[in-house]
Amino acid sequence: MSLFKDTKVLVCVGSGGVGKTTIAASLAVLAAKEGKRVLVLTIDPAKRLAQTLGIEGTKDITKVPGQNFKGELYASVIDHKKTFDDFVARAAKKTESAQKIFNNSLYKQLSTNLSGSQEFTALEKLYSCYESGQFDLIVLDTPPTKHAIDFLNAPQKLSALFNEGVAKWFRDPEGKKGGFFGHLLQTGTRQVLKVLESLTGSNFIRELGDFFVNIEQWQGKLQARTIDVHRMLVAPTTQFCLVTAFDQAKLKEAEYFSREIKKGGYHLGTVVLNRVFPYWLDLRSAQDPGKGHEDLVKLYSQMRSYYNQRDQLYQQFESGMKNQARVFRIPDLVKDISDLGGLEELSALIVEGEKKA
Amino acid sequence: MKQEIHFVTGKGGVGKSVLAAALALKKSQEGKKTLLVELGDQSFFKDFFNLPQVGFQPVSIRPNLSLALWTGEACLQEYARHFIKVESLAKLFFENAVMKAFINVAPALPELAILGKVTSGPRKHGPALPFDCIVVDAFATGHFIALLEAPKGMAEAVQFGPMGEQSRSIDAHIRNPEICKYHVVTLPEELPLKEASELIARLKNEFGVTAELIMNKMIEAPVSEQTLQEVQSENSDLSKFAEYLDGHIRRQNQMWAQAQGLSPEVTRVPLYFESSAWALVEKTAEVLK
Repeated sequence: MSLFKDTKVLVCVGSGGVGKTTIAASLAVLAAKEGKRVLVLTIDPAKRLAQTLGIEGTKDITKVPGQNFKGELYASVIDHKKTFDDFVARAAKKTESAQKIFNNSLYKQLSTNLSGSQEFTALEKLYSCYESGQFDLIVLDTPPTKHAIDFLNAPQKLSALFNEGVAKWFRDPEGKKGGFFGHLLQTGTRQVLKVLESLTGSNFIRELGDFFVNIEQWQGKLQARTIDVHRMLVAPTTQFCLVTAFDQAKLKEAEYFSREIKKGGYHLGTVVLNRVFPYWLDLRSAQDPGKGHEDLVKLYSQMRSYYNQRDQLYQQFESGMKNQARVFRIPDLVKDISDLGGLEELSALIVEGEKKA
Repeated sequence: MKQEIHFVTGKGGVGKSVLAAALALKKSQEGKKTLLVELGDQSFFKDFFNLPQVGFQPVSIRPNLSLALWTGEACLQEYARHFIKVESLAKLFFENAVMKAFINVAPALPELAILGKVTSGPRKHGPALPFDCIVVDAFATGHFIALLEAPKGMAEAVQFGPMGEQSRSIDAHIRNPEICKYHVVTLPEELPLKEASELIARLKNEFGVTAELIMNKMIEAPVSEQTLQEVQSENSDLSKFAEYLDGHIRRQNQMWAQAQGLSPEVTRVPLYFESSAWALVEKTAEVLK
C-alpha cells in the first residue's frame, strides 16, 4: 500500500468518536501483512479490540497473539502516568529530586489532569519507540480531543508553560537576581503577582513557586525533547491520517484541519471517511425494495434518502480535498471488531477504499 | 426562582450537543429563562443553527433561550475584572506573556474558572448570570471528569486563601443534586456505553451524584423480528437491509438491557431523519423527561 511507502510513523488524528483506534489497528495489520515490523500505540481501545491485540490488562509492548503475517505486529496501550513519571525520572538528575517532584501536589494534578498532558505523553511514548529503532513502522492512535487540531497544539502549549521565562518568574518573583532588566520587569511582575495573589491567595503562589523550583532541572530536557518530537513529526517519513465521520460539522472540521496541518509543515497523506454508509446501501443501484412489507420499505426509503443527501455533502468534500490528500470511504460494518479476522476484514475495506480513491 | 444547572456529557460523537440543545429548548419552553453553554474556543452551534455570531456574551437564539461559548481563559478574565476593578491593572495582568501561557495550561485553573462561572448564580459570587436554567454542553467523558475534579484537586493543593475557599464552594455545589443535574449520552454501541457506565459509576462514587443515562439514536423496529427474518431470505435490496436492521436491533436491544442497570433514570431517544437542525432539536426535546 502506497500509504506505507517510506513511512516510519503514521499518526491517526481525528475528533472524538470517529473510530480512530480501530482504523489505526487495521492500518497496522495491513502493514504487518506487507512484511513490516509494526507497532500500534493505542490510547483507550474497546475491550474486545484490546483482547484481540493481546493488550488487555497490560501496558507493555506485546506481540499480538494468533498472527500469521509476513511481518510482525506489536501493540501497546499508552500508560500516561508512567510515561510522564519516566520522563521526569530520566530528566531529574538525582533520585531524591525526582521524588520531590512526584510529591508536589501540583505535579500530581499536572501529570494526570493537565490539558495537553495526554498529548504530551502520547508523543513522548511515540518518540521513545521511534528512537529505539526497533520497528519499521509505528502507528499512533491519538487521545480523544474535541477537535483534530487540538492534538498538534497541545504539546506547544504545555512546553510554553515550562519555558525559561515562566519558570523564572515564579521562582524569582522579586527579580532579586535581576540587574537592569530584572528591575524593569520587577514593577510589572510585582503588580501582576499581587493581582494573582489577591485572586488566589499566597498559599497558591507558594505551591507554584515550589513546583517551578522543583521542575527547574527538567526544563532543558523538555525543551530539547519538544524540538526532537517536532522534527520527527514534520519529517517526510511521518504521515498523518485524518479519520473523520459522518456529519457536516465533522467534515468542515476536517477541511480546516487539512489546511492547518499543511501550514504547520506536516504531511497529510490520507483522509479516512469512516462508517460512511451502511454496507447494505448501494446508492448507485436503482432503488428496488421488492414487494410488500410496507413499514419496512418506508424505513428503507427514509434511510436511503437520508444517506443520499449526505452523499452529496461527501462528494463536495472529496472534490475539495482531492489535491491535498487521498480520501477513502469505509462503510459502517455495524458489528464490533472481536478478533484479528475482524481487523483484517476492515483492512480489506481500506484497501478497497484506496483503489476507489 | 432557584437556578438549575445541567451538564450534558458522553463519548465523542454520540450527539451530546444536539441533546444539550434539546434539553435547553425544553426548559425554555417550560418558561425558564435558559442559557445553553458551549465550552471551548470553537462553536458547534454557530454552523449547526447557522448563527451570525457566538461568543462569550449570551446571544438570544429563540424565545427564552440564549447561547454562549466559554473558554476557561474568558471566564477567568471576566472573574478577575469583576474583582480587580482597575482596568489598567487587569490589562497588565492578562497581557503579561507569562500569565497568558500559564492560564492556558495551569493545572485545573481553566476548569476551575469555567465551573466557577457556571455555579456563580447559586453561589452568589462573581458577575451576575441572570438565567433560571443553565445547560452546559460539556466536554466528552474523560475531560469531563477532569473538569469536575479540578475544584477538589485545587482545594487540596491550596488549602488557604480565596483560591482554596472558592474551590471548596464550587466543589460543594457540583455535588449538590438540588442544584446540578447530570446527563450522560450514549449510543446503543459497546464503546460509548462502556464509557457512559464508567462515568456514571465515578459520578456516583466520587461525587455522590446520580446521572441520567440517555441512549440516543435508537431505531424503532417497524416490523416483527420474524418478518425481518423472512425478508432476509428474499433476494432484493430490501433483504440486505432487513439483515442489517435485524443485526442492528439485536445489538440495540442488548445495549438497552445493559443500560437498565446503570442508572435509575434511562431515557430512549429515537433516530430521526431530519435535515433541518431546529426540527431535529424540537423532536428530540419532545421525548426528553
